[in-house]
Amino acid sequence: MNIHLFEKLRTEGLVSDTAVQAVKTEESNRLFSLHWEIKTLLYLGVLLLSGGLGILIYKNIDTIGHQVILLFIGLLCAGCFSYCIRKKAPFSWQKVISPNAFFDYALLLGCLTFVTFIGYLQFEYTAFGKAYGLATFIPFAVLAVSAYYFDHLGVLSMAITNLAAWMGIAVTPFQVLSANDFSSDPIIYTGVLLGGILLLLAIISTRRNLKKHFTFTYQNFGTNIIFIACISALCVFGNNPMLWLLIIIMAAVSVYTFKQAFREGSFYFVLITVLYAYVGISIIVFRLLVLTNDIGAVYLGLLYVIGSAIGVILLLINLNKKIKHARI
Amino acid sequence: MLAYNRQTLDNLEIKEEAEKALRKDCIDAATFKAIEAAHPVNFYTPNPIIKIGLFILTVIIASFSMGFLTLISLEAIRNESGYAGLCVFFGLVCYGALELFIREKKFYKAGVDDALLWSAIGLFLCALAIKGNTSLSTWSICVLVLTLLATLRFADMALSGVAYLAFLAFVFSILVKLGPVAKTITPFVIMLLSLATWFVVRRLATQQPLRHYKHCLTVVEVLSLLTLYLAGNYFVVREVSNAMFDLQLKDGQSIPGAMLFWIFTTVIPFVYLYLGIRRKDAVLLRTGMLLLAAIVFTIRYYHSVMPLETAMVTGGIILTGGAWALISYLQTPRHGFTYLETDEPSLADKLNVESLVIAQTFKPGPQTPSNDMNFGGGTGGGGGASGEY
Repeated sequence: MNIHLFEKLRTEGLVSDTAVQAVKTEESNRLFSLHWEIKTLLYLGVLLLSGGLGILIYKNIDTIGHQVILLFIGLLCAGCFSYCIRKKAPFSWQKVISPNAFFDYALLLGCLTFVTFIGYLQFEYTAFGKAYGLATFIPFAVLAVSAYYFDHLGVLSMAITNLAAWMGIAVTPFQVLSANDFSSDPIIYTGVLLGGILLLLAIISTRRNLKKHFTFTYQNFGTNIIFIACISALCVFGNNPMLWLLIIIMAAVSVYTFKQAFREGSFYFVLITVLYAYVGISIIVFRLLVLTNDIGAVYLGLLYVIGSAIGVILLLINLNKKIKHARI
Repeated sequence: MLAYNRQTLDNLEIKEEAEKALRKDCIDAATFKAIEAAHPVNFYTPNPIIKIGLFILTVIIASFSMGFLTLISLEAIRNESGYAGLCVFFGLVCYGALELFIREKKFYKAGVDDALLWSAIGLFLCALAIKGNTSLSTWSICVLVLTLLATLRFADMALSGVAYLAFLAFVFSILVKLGPVAKTITPFVIMLLSLATWFVVRRLATQQPLRHYKHCLTVVEVLSLLTLYLAGNYFVVREVSNAMFDLQLKDGQSIPGAMLFWIFTTVIPFVYLYLGIRRKDAVLLRTGMLLLAAIVFTIRYYHSVMPLETAMVTGGIILTGGAWALISYLQTPRHGFTYLETDEPSLADKLNVESLVIAQTFKPGPQTPSNDMNFGGGTGGGGGASGEY
């Protein structure tokens, strides 16, 4: 805080001497926080270590032998989990504060090695035979249970990506658009289903008060997935009944998330719902314009974008004001 | 010079400081209300997330309007300079709209104004690009003038950074033209300029009349630290001089004065770190941390000290161990440092960025070669598969 500024406020008679004194003490006692610096180092360290060990094993597979590696990974995993079980605070359906930063990363490492362990078993020994689904479902189950048991949002995100992988789509932030072939129908249906499940979990989390702070993660993945799936359906589906069903689903989800976000005062969900809905409506408008098969449609389309975008800007400004007022 | 009302900018700072004081319980709510009433802020600044939406939409409007203009004036344009003229015209329209919004609607960092400012500058530069045949020095001087003026008027952080880089590019282009001696001393000139900029900027940041440019000066400060390092970095000097000055170096061949550049490469980040810790300066500290990675990359690029995986494992062990040691060392605050988080609420926390980073970097592990479940019908069975494990 700027002491000079508070001195000025005192001469204006707005703050008392004690307040200025309090600011001065606060400022002289202020500590320099290295929290994010150290966390970044720790994170990079875990990333390098897991990557490096992976390559090391890969290169020396002939001399080490699969069993030894499996044993090593298994031991590491067991070690991490036993450390976490010893250190963890008692389970509760409310938010549990993690005992220390190392705990978070030990849990992360344990979960990662577990996923690797299962993958290794399946890849090398086809332990699950032809039941490929099982090899992705087990990690998902373990991750989900760990996320709830140890209360870790990162592990929950990993569980969600694993659930999606089991269902056949990629939902990691940078791959959701690049790794999925959204022009195929099954992917779209899966996306809608997965998004629906996640939204349902979000509702259950809040309503039943079961790990309420997980709601954001569920809702974030859920709304994005369901909207992206619906929007790709709007682009690729021909004039078939499923298209109409998806339009109805999208409209319903938009209305629901919008109301929800508005009530909670979440700027983020208001923004993404408005933007996704706008993109959806625009695609429908453009498809209708293309149907007219007329050069005038190009002009009309351009004017539509300009006019509607201005409209959305005014809407956002208005919503911003309303949410702010509702908060106060 | 500034487009915004200076008094209101001051009031904004007072309000922010008062909010901090309120959070720390130095003042009570009534005092805060009194301060707010005595120093009213009538700027329109939406929530940072809504701001992103407004920014995107304004960019959409600007580009589609440009498209519409092009379409209706297609007959009149005829050639390239006609189109360049259209760009300049529309850039001026954007700028006019920007000034209008700031004066009438009191927009301040609202997304709309940033988008209009950047579009205007982008369009002017587009016109320059369409004219063609512009040399590096002309380019950099044009960018420098435009962004400098924009920075002075709107105190835009990103543009102030661009202005600084354009200034360096201009100096570089002049030096390259001057002849062999100038070429040899180019890295040193850039380093000296960066160092001088750093000192000047730190000086200016404390000047009362320049208080509204504080954030712009911080951007330039970070960039000057980076350019100071990069101009002396062995990799940058070797590869740039090889490409620009036709040295035709073979693999393993070195540049003159290599030893000096190796010293710069390895010593500067530690100097930053030392100064950062000494002065409790977050800018120096974080830049130093970032540049430690640059040391590793530069050395590894030319000398394979050890195989990649060994380097990764050792690095990982050192980083994890070091972080663990630091955490336990700072359990109780020492020398004014702490491991505890500051209580300033940050956007990254609200959006759970950390968990998203984890989901992105640690991709789902075992991927089945094909997925014969009903889900997905196997088309995307390998979605997200990377086979890293």
